[in-house]
Amino acid sequence: MSTTRHLINRRRRTAPPAGESPAAARRQSASAVRARPRTRPAARPAESAAKQGPVPARRPRGGGGDRGAGSAAPARGGRLTAALGAAAVLLGCFAAFAAVQASGGDDPAAENAALVDAPLTSEVKGGVGEAVEAVFSVDYTDLDENRQAARTYLTGKAVGQHRQMLADVREQAPSQKLVLTTTVTDSAVELADDGAARVLVFADQRNTRTDTDETSYGAAMVAVDAVKDDGRWRISNIDTFG
Amino acid sequence: MSLRKNPLLALALVAVALAAVLAAWAGTSWYAAADDDAADFAASRDDALAAARQAVTNLNTLDHRDLDEGLDRWEASATGELLTQLRQGRDGFEKEVRKAETVTTAEVLSAALTELDDRAGRADVLVAVRITVAAPGEKPQAKQSRMLGEVTRTGDGWKLSALGQAPAGDSAGGNASEGSGEGSGQGADQGSGSDSGRAGEAGQ
Repeated sequence: MSTTRHLINRRRRTAPPAGESPAAARRQSASAVRARPRTRPAARPAESAAKQGPVPARRPRGGGGDRGAGSAAPARGGRLTAALGAAAVLLGCFAAFAAVQASGGDDPAAENAALVDAPLTSEVKGGVGEAVEAVFSVDYTDLDENRQAARTYLTGKAVGQHRQMLADVREQAPSQKLVLTTTVTDSAVELADDGAARVLVFADQRNTRTDTDETSYGAAMVAVDAVKDDGRWRISNIDTFG
Repeated sequence: MSLRKNPLLALALVAVALAAVLAAWAGTSWYAAADDDAADFAASRDDALAAARQAVTNLNTLDHRDLDEGLDRWEASATGELLTQLRQGRDGFEKEVRKAETVTTAEVLSAALTELDDRAGRADVLVAVRITVAAPGEKPQAKQSRMLGEVTRTGDGWKLSALGQAPAGDSAGGNASEGSGEGSGQGADQGSGSDSGRAGEAGQ
């Protein structure tokens, strides 16, 4: 029993390198196809093991020679270990590469949910439209309504911008009996994510002086930044392209 | 070759198993990301919008000294119905501009898509644009314009297939010259833009 194994082992050791381990060679070429250049060094242990095949003393770990009859198994184990190690390295490299690709951190288009997320887009449109109509509508009979709308729908820089924009209207409203009505006619979401958005708004404005019964019309366009705050979209910046 | 006798082999096996699990997980998520319809849709959206911005700029830019080049650029930016209209009106328009000797420049202030049908290759777009017209012996006139456009995917990228002014709902033909305190009226009325931060306003 042990003698046969010994024989097989010796025959294997003395066999020409080319025929030594076809399986290992195959594995190697297969991995070379899959691997990127960088991972090639990982395959080297197997390669050198194959080259060293005919020299028993330089066999990979496992110390087969010392143990006589049991040498075949540890030697095969050593080669297997090396191959498994190489496979682990290759798989690891692939995993890292794939993970980087999957994260897609370098794709800004994917981060903007405008139109991609239809419910969010229409929520933004609706919320911002409601806000624009409310804060740009003034009725001389109830100036507090506009003040309240500003508190509800504006935040940050937009508070001051709005105050400045409506200063004249608010001042003249009582004496001229002004009614300013803003109606959003078109809007489009340029940027959107869960908490912030930018929307281009086209609106019609009707300004009526009730004292003289004169009405003027205005076609307005504004780009507003909005943030979601307490479940409500509030305008944080108003760009009138001035 | 028992694993107990060869701890290194055992370690290698564990490493391979671990790496295989990791690789499978990462590979699946890579596949999911690469195959992501949303990413494709987002890319189309950005392509269509960029093309719309450029086309609207082109179609509102014309120098009477380079009429042929300018009108060629118009046609290169358009497709479908709009292209037909441009070709039909080209001669008459050319004569007009040559006579008026105007130089028109445009700057897109803001733009966004309202709708995108990626499969059909069509999108609707809102564009806010500032158009400056310079005629000889006159101060350049700047006005802001609210435009609605439609872009269509062609073999040569997205192109404008329709473009027009957004209708002013309330006014029925009335104009916006009487600024009501805010909005577009202001900037246009004050002529040369007060916003010095913006580039591209050569003013001629």
